[in-house]
Amino acid sequence: MKRIGVFVCHCGINIANTVDVDRVVEELRKDPRITHAQSYIYMCSDPGQELVRDTIKNEKLDAVVVAACSPSLHELTFRQASAEAGLNPYQCEIANIREQCSWVHEDRERATAKAVKIIKSIVAKTYLNESLEPIRVPINRRAMVIGGGIAGIQASLDIANSGYEVVLVEREPSIGGHMAQLSETFPTLDCSQCILTPKMVEVGKHPRIKLMTYSEVEEVSGYVGNFTVKIRRKAPSVDWATCTGCGECMEKCPVKVPSEFNRGLDDRGAIYVPFPQAVPNKPVIDRDNCVYYRTGKCKLCESTCEVGSIRFDQEDEIVEEEVGAIVVATGYETLPLQRIAEYGGGEVPDVIDGLAFERLLSASGPTVGEVRRPSDGKVPKEVVFVQCAGSRDPERYQPYCSRICCMYTTKHAMLYKHRVHDGQPYIFYIDVRTGGKGYEEFYHRAEEEEGVVYLKGKVASIFRDGDQTVVWGTDSLAGRNVEIRADLVVLATAVVPGTGVQDLAKKLKIQTGENGFLNEAHPKLRPVESITAGFYLAGCGQSPRDIPDTVAQASGAASKVTALFSKDEMEQDPMIAAVDEDVCGGCRVCISVCPYDAREYDEEEEIAVVNEALCEGCGACVAACPCGATQQSNLTDRQILEMITASLGEE
Amino acid sequence: MTRVAYYPGCALKERSAHLERPALGAAEKLGFELDELDSWTCCGAVPPPSEERIMNLVAPIRILKDVRDTGDEVLVTICDFCYNSLKRANHRVSTSDLDRKRVNAFLRENQPKRDYLPSTEEDYRDYLGEVQVMHLLEYLRDVVGFEEIAQSRSTELSGLRLAPYYGCVMLRPEDEIGLDSVENPTIIEDFLVALGAETVAYPYRTVCCGSYLSVSFPESSARLCSNIISSAAEKGADAIVVSCPLCFYNLDSRQKMISELYPGTKSIPILYFTQVLGMAMDLDISDLGFDKHYVDPEPVVEKALGSLKGGGSR
Amino acid sequence: MFEPKIVCFVCKWCTSAGADLAGTSRLKYSPNGINLRFMCSSRVDPEHIMWAFRQGADGVLVGGCHPGDCHYQDGNYRTQTRMALLRRVLDQLGIESSRLRLEWISAAEGKKFAEVMDNFSEELRKKGPLSLASKEMTV
Repeated sequence: MKRIGVFVCHCGINIANTVDVDRVVEELRKDPRITHAQSYIYMCSDPGQELVRDTIKNEKLDAVVVAACSPSLHELTFRQASAEAGLNPYQCEIANIREQCSWVHEDRERATAKAVKIIKSIVAKTYLNESLEPIRVPINRRAMVIGGGIAGIQASLDIANSGYEVVLVEREPSIGGHMAQLSETFPTLDCSQCILTPKMVEVGKHPRIKLMTYSEVEEVSGYVGNFTVKIRRKAPSVDWATCTGCGECMEKCPVKVPSEFNRGLDDRGAIYVPFPQAVPNKPVIDRDNCVYYRTGKCKLCESTCEVGSIRFDQEDEIVEEEVGAIVVATGYETLPLQRIAEYGGGEVPDVIDGLAFERLLSASGPTVGEVRRPSDGKVPKEVVFVQCAGSRDPERYQPYCSRICCMYTTKHAMLYKHRVHDGQPYIFYIDVRTGGKGYEEFYHRAEEEEGVVYLKGKVASIFRDGDQTVVWGTDSLAGRNVEIRADLVVLATAVVPGTGVQDLAKKLKIQTGENGFLNEAHPKLRPVESITAGFYLAGCGQSPRDIPDTVAQASGAASKVTALFSKDEMEQDPMIAAVDEDVCGGCRVCISVCPYDAREYDEEEEIAVVNEALCEGCGACVAACPCGATQQSNLTDRQILEMITASLGEE
Repeated sequence: MTRVAYYPGCALKERSAHLERPALGAAEKLGFELDELDSWTCCGAVPPPSEERIMNLVAPIRILKDVRDTGDEVLVTICDFCYNSLKRANHRVSTSDLDRKRVNAFLRENQPKRDYLPSTEEDYRDYLGEVQVMHLLEYLRDVVGFEEIAQSRSTELSGLRLAPYYGCVMLRPEDEIGLDSVENPTIIEDFLVALGAETVAYPYRTVCCGSYLSVSFPESSARLCSNIISSAAEKGADAIVVSCPLCFYNLDSRQKMISELYPGTKSIPILYFTQVLGMAMDLDISDLGFDKHYVDPEPVVEKALGSLKGGGSR
Repeated sequence: MFEPKIVCFVCKWCTSAGADLAGTSRLKYSPNGINLRFMCSSRVDPEHIMWAFRQGADGVLVGGCHPGDCHYQDGNYRTQTRMALLRRVLDQLGIESSRLRLEWISAAEGKKFAEVMDNFSEELRKKGPLSLASKEMTV
């Protein structure tokens, strides 16, 4: 026979005014399942807690019910007090007779009767409670960061500087991401490369960061604290260990293909580094375009290389890394110009996107920072910037706001004006959104001091006419259509998730939303975590955002990782699903309802099992289990039925 | 000679009958016969197929079912509106179970009597979208082949500078019609190049002509058409080429009103694509239907081609 | 006067927190319901509800987070589906399905919780006690 003690709190007059506490105690004493019942004016006070501890010892109680305020306030207090008296903390339960009884009722008689029922329902549950231990999961204190843009760089540095090892995996030959392409950053106009490259170098040299560029995640298994990741290290066809990065091979390469880094505004060879400040600064051979791989002849690079680092026969390598947490920082792409047929569909040479314009503005770009249009190299005198090119257009393109375009277009127009003093920039916009520190001021500066003309309206069509590019749009404030014969048009194309993010998300078993961006666990309160434990999000892979927000989120994700790593093992709430192996028939309904992939099928035993590290204890699978094999610890079906019966009282 | 089922529609039998003749003649020269359906009704173009209603599926699907039951697989039209309503109705029965069931249930109970078709309810076979609806331009491109046409043409049109005009319904909606890019189509250009003509690029080739506003607000339509005509003329076009009887009406027959409202607008002849095809295939000028035009195309055409065959006999 | 007995299955994150807010706001409502607090409304098995009716409940309230707000992603959608199916069964068993209520009550909706309790109690008062043949036989 379990010995249960019930302690009823007066909460001063908060409970006692409406609930006749003495009568409650009197009623409880009649219940044969209750060994001890008493009241006290303030249970949560030190003497109150002392009373609980002493009674547990003196009465040799096996379980305790405290009838007081909401469990969200003092459940922890009384569980600790019980533990101090040698009781298993999960043998202590709270009956809420304040927020859900005394404070909301006026009829003393009925409130007292209700309080008794509330307490008895909790007693019924407690009677069947098991003594539980928190679930302990060991943690491998090593992190992986997927994506080497500014988000991945920041997260890697923060984690590594906290003393933990980091594996940084980047698909491209160099880290740096899109930020490396930018000329200057809004609203301060400081040089993007100048603030980014020191961080890139730090990553490259950091003793605790293992950098794997030109590599992709193939497969992930395990769970929080204990992941095993298979990574494909693509063959660069160059032995990076001996390569000095002198660049002779790139000069000799006869191939010319459009440079991805320069958005096709100039060419690179088949053997190349994406940009001069690349980390690591070692070339790769693009086998699709290399003359040797296509025809079997050439090898000019090999004959040029003084240290003999070219490896035509190098093969992809699969490596395995064990980590405890994974930061996903996969970044973004922009909607291809080809998708937007009404704006020329990529066929009009002087219609470019924002990243290409960044390259035109950049001192390290193909025009050395002079704004020259692609078609004939002329300096454009009239430049039209089109915002929301593919954003905020649920009918045909992306329904959401890409968030960064208003500010970068304003920056573009301003920088253009700084380069071409007699030039005229126009900006077509739906709304100018300036939510950020110093952003509104930046916009006003562009409009009032820098002579940028803002036109509120959509652009209907863009086409080439002679050497000009004609823009048809609407000036909705003036209420008329406008035609601008421009020399150059820059489209602020929509920010979309990076290519391959869907596949990666499937491999990681993390969720994406309807627009393909990665989903956070909670939009307000858990913005840097995935719903799947052990995965953290940073940067534009989650949704479009600017650099300050990206860096803040990356640091947030990193601090979540280091918080996880602050212990050798994780303690998880033990009130989770458990399977009775003798009853389970292996129907797998539970697997289909689990939002956390915590239910798995054991092929050998032919039963469904619970991954205790992943289970969050919602109970959805318990209710779904057709044979009752799955139960929730300390909230079993039997406990619930007893609670129901008790809550309905005697009569 | 290859025979292909042909649906003319109302416009090309009435007001625009002169635009049909060159199509039939040219087809013969290209080695196929446009064989008009024995019996046909309105294609259902007004109103065009909407999402909710079933009645506007009845007319086009009845036509298409008859075509299938006669054993044809392809149906050709030369009117953009007919093409649009037939092809979209076909798309709807092919992709929507509900629409397919409802329209067939209706047709099963209300079968017209055709002496050449079985007509008892037991004989009724559900129409599932089997017939392929093709615009004549599409047929020329995909079945005959523009290269073949370039080989077969007998008159050199190289002196002609022609401005294609696409209108709206031949291409839209893109996912249901799928004939060509909505924003940057090339089918008429490719067609004209195959005929040896020179094409004129101008921005208004895909901009609205006003369509049925021509009936309710003719001034609005006239304003839009004035833009189209002026733009094509400015780029040096001898004529504008259209593929829709309503575009033809708005751009040609309304030029009187356009020139009154917008006196600066240059007068320019409008040609139906079948007429250009007929010219290239060396049809007699009396078969080209030039007599029904408001702006007489003959002077321009003659200027470009020299004296047309049979030109004096008009 | 007849006072109905109501069993309330409430989720910890939203509806129970909403009921707590009704308390801290000192709203007053009818004391007919007893809250049984689960982690998620998706823990509620239709059997629990049938048991409650059999044990003498005149009404059952299931309270969860608003759609899209579930702490466990989509537990409330499962609850909604299960309740819809159970309602059909209830009608066939001679228990008016309106005696089972599903409400989305957020942690900020203390007022809504109080209103739902008053309103449901009043509705059940008008309906009168649930009479079950099986209950008379077993009890």
